[in-house]
Amino acid sequence: MIRSHFLNLVLFSGLVSIFFAFLTQNDSRSRARVILILGGSMVVLSLIVAYVMYPFPLP
Amino acid sequence: MSETVLEPAESASRAAVDPWIPCLLAWLAPGLGHAYLGRKGRGAVFFVVVLATLGLGISSDGAAALIDPHQPLTYLATFDNLAVGPLDLLSRLATYGRIVYRLPEDEADPRRIELTDRLRKKVRSVTFEYGNTFLLTAGLMNILLILDAFDIATGRKD
Repeated sequence: MIRSHFLNLVLFSGLVSIFFAFLTQNDSRSRARVILILGGSMVVLSLIVAYVMYPFPLP
Repeated sequence: MSETVLEPAESASRAAVDPWIPCLLAWLAPGLGHAYLGRKGRGAVFFVVVLATLGLGISSDGAAALIDPHQPLTYLATFDNLAVGPLDLLSRLATYGRIVYRLPEDEADPRRIELTDRLRKKVRSVTFEYGNTFLLTAGLMNILLILDAFDIATGRKD
């Protein structure tokens, strides 16, 4: 059981991006590009949303 | 949107494949439909990815959904869980200790009480939401794989 939020986020993003890279692309180069862009976006955007939500609930 | 133009010979050989066979194989084991259509490497990757997602879901205390007639969304969640094929049996065994798909309607039914108790134990786990997300995602991935295998078999996708 993985209790780290960040590790769960990275694993989920990695698996989903690998899946879509192989589903939508045919060559290694474009697959690697999709994995980096999609996986990276999921991780970075989640961290941004988490940071924006940090003050909530307001005291 | 661009469309792939197939050579006549390639198109004819694909037309000979009954598209429901790769769909059934894709449901039985993730990636098997792609392997049947000659995409063995891709099929192996899909199998590993879906299996890893499902495994993370089970190990993170995710719960397989049960049909509860009072909650219509449980039909969708159960359908999604079933989309991973026989592997869904593993998550049901891990969640309920047996193969079960429907919650008895009568609230006083001892089977319903026992199943609800088992579900509550999972919900109390700190990783329950992660586990559920992984389980549902594995099902969604396999639905896409089944549709993709159908598209390849019918020549809609290269």
